[in-house]
Amino acid sequence: MSSANISDRRRYWQFLWRSWAIQDSWNYERQMNMGFLFGIAPTLDRIYPDDKDPRQLAHKKEAYQRHMAFYNCTPQTSAFTLGLAASMEEQYAADRENFNPDTINAVKTSLMGPLSGVGDSFFQGTVRIIAFGLGIQLAQQGSILGPILAMLISFVPSFVVTWFAGKLGYTMGSKYLTRLQGGMMDQLMYVCGIVGLMVIGAMVASMVGITTPITFESAGLVLQDIIDSILPCAIDLAVVMAMYTMIKKRFKTGWLLGICIVGGIIVNALHILV
Amino acid sequence: MFVTSLILGLVGVFCILDSRLLGRLNFERPLITCTIVGLILGDLPTGLAVGASIELMSLGLVVIGAAAPPDMNMAAIICSAFAILTDASTETALALAIPIAVLGQMLGVLMRTILSNLTHAADRAIEQGNFRRATSMHIVWGTVLYSLMYFVPIFLAVYLGTDFVQRLVEVIPAWLTDGLNLGSKFLTAYGIALLMSSMLNKSLVVFFLLGFFLVGYIGLNITAIAIFACIIAVVLTGLKFRGGSPAAAGGVSMADEYDPLEDDDDL
Repeated sequence: MSSANISDRRRYWQFLWRSWAIQDSWNYERQMNMGFLFGIAPTLDRIYPDDKDPRQLAHKKEAYQRHMAFYNCTPQTSAFTLGLAASMEEQYAADRENFNPDTINAVKTSLMGPLSGVGDSFFQGTVRIIAFGLGIQLAQQGSILGPILAMLISFVPSFVVTWFAGKLGYTMGSKYLTRLQGGMMDQLMYVCGIVGLMVIGAMVASMVGITTPITFESAGLVLQDIIDSILPCAIDLAVVMAMYTMIKKRFKTGWLLGICIVGGIIVNALHILV
Repeated sequence: MFVTSLILGLVGVFCILDSRLLGRLNFERPLITCTIVGLILGDLPTGLAVGASIELMSLGLVVIGAAAPPDMNMAAIICSAFAILTDASTETALALAIPIAVLGQMLGVLMRTILSNLTHAADRAIEQGNFRRATSMHIVWGTVLYSLMYFVPIFLAVYLGTDFVQRLVEVIPAWLTDGLNLGSKFLTAYGIALLMSSMLNKSLVVFFLLGFFLVGYIGLNITAIAIFACIIAVVLTGLKFRGGSPAAAGGVSMADEYDPLEDDDDL
């Protein structure tokens, strides 16, 4: 097959950068459909190189149309699907009788959910929170190391995961599926949850910084001092939990943003909090 | 001002292309773009300060799936520019960020609707056997249109809006600035609460509290918390998932570390 004349390394690079570019035409109708087509196009072009041959042309059209279907997945983990779909397209081209092409899109569709779930919670949840938790703290101290560190911590896992996801998907895709769907997803989610939430808890205590100016002059008491001696950052925790409750009660984002600004102005004018 | 606006528009292009072409490496985030704006306009401290504040309150606004949150990334570039080019304080810049972000969100929704037409054009191109045109719908037209979606508003906002913001800032009374300051802290709390809302469940609440108390009582910094969190997570995963299969790519290092622990327990 003509696809033999491309080195594996180049193929994996293609999976990597074309997975990263998958959101380039994100739209409401079929979301990342063209992104996926763009990713798999080189593979299809290698399988069906001759546009002059009417039979090949028909097969190629059919394959291109197949990959215009609805698709949405975290770009980094999507490389796995891309690699797997590429290897399935090659199998299909090699053995058209015994391979049902519908399975290609079926596999794509079935992978979207779990791969997005684990990908989003890992990258948008844990990695991003650690990267920017550290980054914000350094930036608040006026150090440019903050943003640099945040970029570095974001880049490295993203690169490594995308590279290996594409490679694994292509080389041992279907075999790996069972392991992915086994306990590994749960483990990864569990680890992400613990690390993410501990850092979030730390951010509540170190980055909100709401205090109260209330004093009881007759008794000579400063309320903030009392709070600090019992439970430091208690006001921060209370405000965050109030926000959390409102979010869980499904208040609209616009309302909540308005409440923050207007509430801030009113509560500050009443000298309750600063 | 024209050249400044032009360059800031290009920062916007860099910002949007991070999620379009680089799989969202987080280079689009306010902390990064505000720092770049600060470097370009020659006021790094303000860039860092505005970036850290906007980052903090937008940390919870994540694009997941089809949901479109207020576009804080676009707002961050415009507002850090305002904070540096006018006398606006960080808090004022933050308050300005909200309406801009909501406008940006609407623009984003409109854009993604328009882009559906590219899909139809690509369908037709495939039908005609013009495969190169089909993929260029994605990589050329997608890139161009998304770039414009950021470049144009940022350019216009900075070019036409700076004088307006300067006049606005001059008439803002002190009580309003103080109020906005508290408001921005509420927004930070909101951002953190948003993050929690997507991750928190009953069995994980203790870890949230652990992180909170370690900082509140002992005063550890975030780096220390992150390190301890990883260790705790690895140890607990080993205990919780005995005899599980080793993890793939993303969790290799962690998975490798808890295996020996399992053996110890079995003895």
